[in-house]
Amino acid sequence: MDETVAEFIKRTILKIPMTEMMTILKAWDFLPENQLQTVNFRQRKESLVQDLVLLCENKRASLRDAALLDIIYTQFHQHQKVWDVFQMSKEPGEDVDLFDMEQFKSSFEKILRRALKNVTVSFRDAEENAVWIRIAWGTQYRKPNQYKPVFVVYYSQTPYVFTSFCHLKSNTPLLSQALTVASNHHKIVKMDLRSRYLDSLKAIVFKQYNQKFETHNSTMPLQENLELDMHMDSRIIHENRIEKERVQRVTQETFGDYPQPRLEFAQYKLETKFKSDFHGGILAERKEPLRCLIKFSSPHLLEALKSLAPAGIADAPLSPLLTCIPNKGMNYFKIRDK
Amino acid sequence: MEWANDKSKGGVLAHLERLETQMSRSCKNLEDPPRETAESDIGTKIRKLRCLRDKLRAEVKQRQARIKASTANAELDQTLEISEQEAVGGKEENMKAILQAYRFTGLSGKRTSRGVCVCISTAFEGNLLDSYFVDLVIQKPLRIHHHSVPVFIPLEEISAKYLQTNIQHFLFCLCEYLNAYAGRKYQADQLQRDFAAFLAGPLQRNSLCNLLSFTYKVEPQSRSFPFCARLLYKDLTTTLPTDVTITYQGTDTSSTSWEEQRASHENLFFTKPLHQVFTSFARNGERLDMSLVS
Repeated sequence: MDETVAEFIKRTILKIPMTEMMTILKAWDFLPENQLQTVNFRQRKESLVQDLVLLCENKRASLRDAALLDIIYTQFHQHQKVWDVFQMSKEPGEDVDLFDMEQFKSSFEKILRRALKNVTVSFRDAEENAVWIRIAWGTQYRKPNQYKPVFVVYYSQTPYVFTSFCHLKSNTPLLSQALTVASNHHKIVKMDLRSRYLDSLKAIVFKQYNQKFETHNSTMPLQENLELDMHMDSRIIHENRIEKERVQRVTQETFGDYPQPRLEFAQYKLETKFKSDFHGGILAERKEPLRCLIKFSSPHLLEALKSLAPAGIADAPLSPLLTCIPNKGMNYFKIRDK
Repeated sequence: MEWANDKSKGGVLAHLERLETQMSRSCKNLEDPPRETAESDIGTKIRKLRCLRDKLRAEVKQRQARIKASTANAELDQTLEISEQEAVGGKEENMKAILQAYRFTGLSGKRTSRGVCVCISTAFEGNLLDSYFVDLVIQKPLRIHHHSVPVFIPLEEISAKYLQTNIQHFLFCLCEYLNAYAGRKYQADQLQRDFAAFLAGPLQRNSLCNLLSFTYKVEPQSRSFPFCARLLYKDLTTTLPTDVTITYQGTDTSSTSWEEQRASHENLFFTKPLHQVFTSFARNGERLDMSLVS
């Protein structure tokens, strides 16, 4: 086994937390069950890793196997990467999409290799007819860097592609071309949507975040919650009950009853002229637009926005710039003067 | 000091006597009349009070009787009400059950505060499959608030064509696509689940289940998988393939029966649902077995 491959496998296994070690190794399915049982999982991590790497060497693990392990590790730790979303489109009136996964994979790899000899491409099929792709980029003269790969997640016959953030922007056009051609699309555009939570991004672009529907089979839970709170103690009189109920109603109409998809920030880039009532102020005469950046950060931005009006911090309804985020599928905006 | 005269003496004594009789007379005068009036007064008072008491008692009794009568009536009314309520409640339950059962027609809906929530229940060969929802907002223009239609179904295309002009057609078109998708998915799932022994490796499929590729055999006991199938469903509103390609990849090129088999398989896949084709393979295999035994 190549030294570099051994080192790569070692570093990948070292990243795996002990609690997940068995699960990930089983998912990898490279070391058979009986071999894994011979290993002492209670020893110190470093020695454990050494034992496992030795087993891999004995089984002659290749770069392909190592790359697969890297994909599995990333699938278990999706939130460690920041994911971007691309949207592809077809020409109108095109034939029905007869997507063939094998054809897609071979076409994708061929396009990359034609342009760049030094590249490692690996695939792993996932649920819901999706595929995870791992790409390690090299250059004309250098071997691929296995420690800075890009991950791509594509659900077949959809126009959306999720990619992990890549520092090397130079390879993005090649990646875009490979994706569009291999999946029978014509154009690809980067969306203004970014988050660590891949499943939330999927929920937003696939429009799956609101799955509450009124049917005759289910009884709609009435707005009992607010009323219960209000009447809990009869000694307390809520003077602003009507306003509270209005705020609750507006919030419910805007945000719904469902759990919000998880985003960490919303960013607004303003390029607008300063508007002021005071003539002769320093900024009033400025011809150039002011540039400023407003960023809202939160561990769970949309839930935080949802709680603003009920908490009394903001007026309801909130600005549509904030509430349009999941509907428009954007969390960074550029606002210019019209 | 000399007492005056006897008159005076007789006068003093007589005076005392006179005073005594005066006193006793005035006492008598004082006592007798009050006692008499008091007695008669109290008597009449007592009689009056007794009369009043009796009257009040009688009235209380009357009122109690009246209340009993009215409560009895009220109970009667209440029981009437309850049984009416039960009847109405029973009808309500019945209605609810009917509304719930509308799902089985494949297309049902429920009014919402914004408009209507349409439910498309898919089915294939008498099996009820997944349900999909489209929540419509009744406004000008008509729009979809949210839905559970999978992203690879061309909902945007269909709504762009028909939603504003012909909502019936929109719903029927969507029904067609969803039912066809559900039917294709059902066939692929059945094949994977029940006939995995006939397949070499996993079934290749995609999100729409409109391209299926697999390698298979027809004889359960055979060790090789001589046939390769590629099924294309170019019409997304159907559950049977539009293109079928079967290739024989066995090593036995001498026998012409392979070509016959291949051609007959093609025909089978064109005309019958996937899992039924494999059921017939399995049955033929059993028949073969039986013939060998006998």
